[in-house]
Amino acid sequence: MAVRPPVSKSNVFLLMVTGEIESAEFPEYDGLYCNFSFFYGQDWTVLSNSSEGITQTSMRGSSPASNFVWNFPIDVTFKSTNPFGWPQIVVSVYGVNSLGRDEVRGYGSIHLPVTPGRHSLDIDMFVPEPASKLQKLVSWLIGPRPELVDPKFVARGEGREITRVSSQGFVRANVNIVMKDFSKQGYRNGTERFSNNSS
Amino acid sequence: MAELHVIGQLVGGYDFHSCDLFCKWGLAHGSNWNVIEGKSEGQTQVDHPKDGTFAKWSHPIDLHLSCQGLQGWPKLHFQVWHEDIFGRNELYGYGFIHVPTVPGNHEVDCVIWKPVGSFMDQVTSFFMGGGPELSQESLVHSSEDRLRLRTESSGRVRLKLGIIIRNFEKFGVETS
Repeated sequence: MAVRPPVSKSNVFLLMVTGEIESAEFPEYDGLYCNFSFFYGQDWTVLSNSSEGITQTSMRGSSPASNFVWNFPIDVTFKSTNPFGWPQIVVSVYGVNSLGRDEVRGYGSIHLPVTPGRHSLDIDMFVPEPASKLQKLVSWLIGPRPELVDPKFVARGEGREITRVSSQGFVRANVNIVMKDFSKQGYRNGTERFSNNSS
Repeated sequence: MAELHVIGQLVGGYDFHSCDLFCKWGLAHGSNWNVIEGKSEGQTQVDHPKDGTFAKWSHPIDLHLSCQGLQGWPKLHFQVWHEDIFGRNELYGYGFIHVPTVPGNHEVDCVIWKPVGSFMDQVTSFFMGGGPELSQESLVHSSEDRLRLRTESSGRVRLKLGIIIRNFEKFGVETS
């Protein structure tokens, strides 16, 4: 390249994520919408204005292999000084039950890939189960299903041992990862052949 | 000092007898290594999968390690447990993997095995449940004292790991 960008002394790198919440597969349900956000460590900040969104309600199509299609855009840029706390996409899927109330159909999360490029991510979904048999009966009779107070709980590793869940379905997200100044900070993620380091 | 980041998740367990499972995991490393940030052990949720074939744990792993020497490259070790409808837990097995040395994204499967007792033990565990467990858990990821152990295969654990390294080349270390 003829023009070189000014070399910054700081140890900041950028992670740009574009893509979509593409679709979901849930065998038992119809009419679903999805709420997504990002969970990241304290060294990370979001540069773009929105890092979360709620999709439209999608119905199952009529074609045989159809699933729930959202095609909802993701466009976020992160700034960080430390890979620890790497961002995770956190999604929760909701539907409307027979009584017309919103009910959770699944929670899930996955780390963004650590390499630039295009990635298709399948996010496994699960719902918490009632803690006891009695609660199970009560929630079956009069609803509602148990929900997580904080949907971002699924992105944390703590306190998981006391949760019982039932997994079903997945959400597919397609993301393109672009990184700036990552290898300049000395980090290697296996894609060095694309960068020209003069070390 | 060279740094290693392990970022990813414990996806789940499959190929087990029954898939109502949870997993205890931990990190083992040599004395040259230090955990700077992140949880180096944990326990996943208990999943009762609707389709009954793949227990999904989606358990996040985010570790930041530093090292002064390559000996004792970190390993992740696992204990898979089954929870029955009465809430009783039974050991389904052990396993370990080395953290991949190649930077990038990896999907890693860990095979899980469990100890087999004597014939009488097997008769007892058939009627009473339970089974032999290791008294020293370090046996899972060390190469000593395996000789007299009799084991059987019990399933697999899947992980998705992203590996980032830093400053290894400064010390002349090539990993890929």
